[in-house]
Amino acid sequence: MKKTLDTFAGPLSRSNPITTQVLGICSALAVTVKMDTALVMSGALVFVLVGSNVIVSALREVIPSRVRIIVMLTIIATLVIFIDELLKAYLYDISKQLSIFVGLIITNCIVLGRAEAFALKNTVWESSLDGLGNAMGYGLILLLVSAARELFGSGSLFGFQIIPDFLYVEHGGWYVNNGLMLLAPGAFIILGLLIWLQRTINGYTEE
Amino acid sequence: MRSSNSYTYFFVIAMAIISALMLSVMKINLQERQEFNKALDTRKNVLKTVGALSPEMSDSDVEEFYMSKFTKQVFPDGKGGEREYYTFGLAERPEGYVFPVSGKGVWSTINGFIALEPDKNTIKGISFYDHGETPGLGGEIEKDFFSRRFVGKKIFKDGELVSVTIAKSKLLEQSEHAVDGLSGASLTTGSINRFLRDDLTEYLPLLRESDEEEALLR
Repeated sequence: MKKTLDTFAGPLSRSNPITTQVLGICSALAVTVKMDTALVMSGALVFVLVGSNVIVSALREVIPSRVRIIVMLTIIATLVIFIDELLKAYLYDISKQLSIFVGLIITNCIVLGRAEAFALKNTVWESSLDGLGNAMGYGLILLLVSAARELFGSGSLFGFQIIPDFLYVEHGGWYVNNGLMLLAPGAFIILGLLIWLQRTINGYTEE
Repeated sequence: MRSSNSYTYFFVIAMAIISALMLSVMKINLQERQEFNKALDTRKNVLKTVGALSPEMSDSDVEEFYMSKFTKQVFPDGKGGEREYYTFGLAERPEGYVFPVSGKGVWSTINGFIALEPDKNTIKGISFYDHGETPGLGGEIEKDFFSRRFVGKKIFKDGELVSVTIAKSKLLEQSEHAVDGLSGASLTTGSINRFLRDDLTEYLPLLRESDEEEALLR
């Protein structure tokens, strides 16, 4: 029971795919300008990662090991195309903003990494927990980074204005949005601070 | 058995067929909705070029506005084919014209609209809505901050079509026929310069028309 819980909860913090393993950085920088895109991206990753872990784990006895990487990629690609098409049909505007980054989940190191390192060796149940934990660990960081970027870069959260209008220079105030937060370097800075904070709390060091 | 070549082939082929089948079935089911979204997005962009799109508008508002205010026109392109464009407002008293423009970008075909004021010279708005350029670099062409730069620019200079050129960087001196560039997007904006001028040249007979009419009126 302890181990099962650990499979799920570990990736949320201690072995977080982004902050500890530093995987999936590309999309973490690209889709975190606004919280709604970050949320949809996280949702897409939950779907793909849980799906691929479950399918790979269910097929782990029958996948020929010589072609396992290509087989896993086929499974992942199928799931990614599935979610991408679904977004185009039901969340068109957000899918347009996410542009290629949903498609790029195929090459997200987290997905293939979990399939190869975990799902091939564990049961379906454990693999689904591992997938969920890792995807949520990724989503958690995405949401934290995007919250900081949207708040300081656009003054809003999920598109709702948080910083009152009258504080802005245009309305006679003194406040100006921080443009750096809207650009990739802003995400790097926030991500760096998060990694620093988390490693300080967990006492994690690179050996 | 598990490691034999024939098993591997069998597995890979079965896998490919199953995934392809699943995706095809899903695509067939979603296609109609996706095409509807795409068509709606195109209409939103037509509205955007004339400055009529506001975030509060619902999908049906967009549809209604589009249907009531825009008239599709066709015009022979001189090569035996036809080109479409739209007039905005009443036929007798148009408030603007919207011309589709498109051309090759760095990675993809860029589609856009350019709207002109009734004088067929001043740009009312521009929008690039369908492209596959690099997000963050060439992809920035779809952003409002970029398209706003075109508003009020002129495409004719002393009666000659000069189009509007996107500069490589910031403009050294203000011009009616050029806008500030996008850093990291020289190739994309370079192709836009090219196809914008080419497409406007194709519409030239149409753009000239009004000049003559106006000249007669004067």
